[in-house]
Amino acid sequence: MSAQTQYNLKSPGVKRLMREACELAEPTDEYFATPLEDNLFEWHFTVRGPPNTEFEDGLYHGRILLPSQYPMQPPNIILLTPNGRFETNKKICLSISGHHPESWQPSWSIRTALLALIAFMPTSAAGTIGSLDYTKEERQVLAKKSKNWECNICGKILNKLSNNSAIKTLTKEESSLLSQIALKTEDETNTSENNDNELRHRTVNSVENRIDTEFVVFSEVQSQKDKLWSLVVWLLVFTITLLIIRRFFFV
Amino acid sequence: MGDEFESDTVVASGNQDELIMQQQRQIEREISESTALVGDLEPIASLNNEYSNDVVYLEKIKDLASKYKYMRRTRPDGNCFFRAFTYAKLERLLDNKIDFANFYKIVEGSKHALVELGFPQFTVEDFYDTFIDVLKRLGDIKTATDAKKELHTLFNEQGYSDYMVVYLRLLTSGQLQRDQDFYSCFIEGERTVADFCHQEVEPMYKESDHIHIMAACAAMNTGVRVVYMDRGTSKINIEHDLPEGTQPSVHLLYRPGHYDILYL
Repeated sequence: MSAQTQYNLKSPGVKRLMREACELAEPTDEYFATPLEDNLFEWHFTVRGPPNTEFEDGLYHGRILLPSQYPMQPPNIILLTPNGRFETNKKICLSISGHHPESWQPSWSIRTALLALIAFMPTSAAGTIGSLDYTKEERQVLAKKSKNWECNICGKILNKLSNNSAIKTLTKEESSLLSQIALKTEDETNTSENNDNELRHRTVNSVENRIDTEFVVFSEVQSQKDKLWSLVVWLLVFTITLLIIRRFFFV
Repeated sequence: MGDEFESDTVVASGNQDELIMQQQRQIEREISESTALVGDLEPIASLNNEYSNDVVYLEKIKDLASKYKYMRRTRPDGNCFFRAFTYAKLERLLDNKIDFANFYKIVEGSKHALVELGFPQFTVEDFYDTFIDVLKRLGDIKTATDAKKELHTLFNEQGYSDYMVVYLRLLTSGQLQRDQDFYSCFIEGERTVADFCHQEVEPMYKESDHIHIMAACAAMNTGVRVVYMDRGTSKINIEHDLPEGTQPSVHLLYRPGHYDILYL
């Protein structure tokens, strides 16, 4: 990190991020994250899909945007690799499930956020904004494809994680913690007035375009399904109207 | 068609949330622009301006002024109790080297205790280091006046100030969990003490109640007097010493939803 001098090294938040960068410097079997060379407040990460799920063997890459108030405020996670569970290029916020959506805790860290992300991939999308409800098969196809995915900053993601599968067991505190955390996604366009994050905006348009083309195939499958549904709906509407009209004539 | 309707409401409620959050951010911005994290000393009479047409409050301000000389306002951001309490406690300790050294020892032992309770070591250490760093910096300054100036500067730097608040929140949470048999009687509903800590104590900007104050006092081995000023009919402000019967070293003024520091 040659650009260290641009940050106020006395600021506890900056110190914290540097500490986290050291802690996460070695790739693990499950996750790897590192700050961009020129921006301590934007990180890129790779996580492995959880075993025994449709995401098994998948490798998913994304961005972590850190607010200037980190760790008082939560990191924002954005997935870049199509995965069928979370929309790409949208912020996923870490929060406590349901009742207390704003309860991020400063004693959580980027590592906690990544573990939560992995833990939440197999959970049901349940209609939350930014979640995708792809079928198991579609997700498996995406998981296979994900290995060839490339980030325009980090390059090929295939070798980002260590293959040493000496399973690192979670500490008791970590697993109880993960049970409290839920993920919700937030529309990035809606939150763009959050200037803090905009400061650290980077052009990722080229990445986005590539994802879009990759996505066309799958959205076609989706749109065919949609057509079928609307056909059924229209048919129902048509029959109901017919029945109503019929009633009028019988009276 | 049911599906279409459902997705419409989801989008709508998303926008609603977004609007609320936007408004909240706006309010937060206004508060942070208008109030320092910890303000300068002001005479008690400065409260009169806020209640110029309010007979009940004016009467109570008179009562307050008969007991206290000054007050120090804190920013109403949900952290006010923790910020006011830590500031006032440290300010008081700077007058007495022995008390300061004793307090330093309590803090030194606290990190290990928190980790043993199951708090994540990596982040606890981060907050602890800053807390101890601030104590060291204050302890190294020769005169109490200069040390108090430094305290004021540090507490008005968002980074340091918030880190101090987080560590006190962690200490309070630790105290609650260590003594959970006792504190569980004060928690309403079905929540466990640990749940309560995760939802109401550890997150920033969560307001403090009686139970937070009791645990914070126990963790810092200190007593606090809270003077309650509200629209109640009596002409005198009600005072509460926590824990009961102790000689308070910190005095706080409570007006519904907010704590400021008081000086005798």
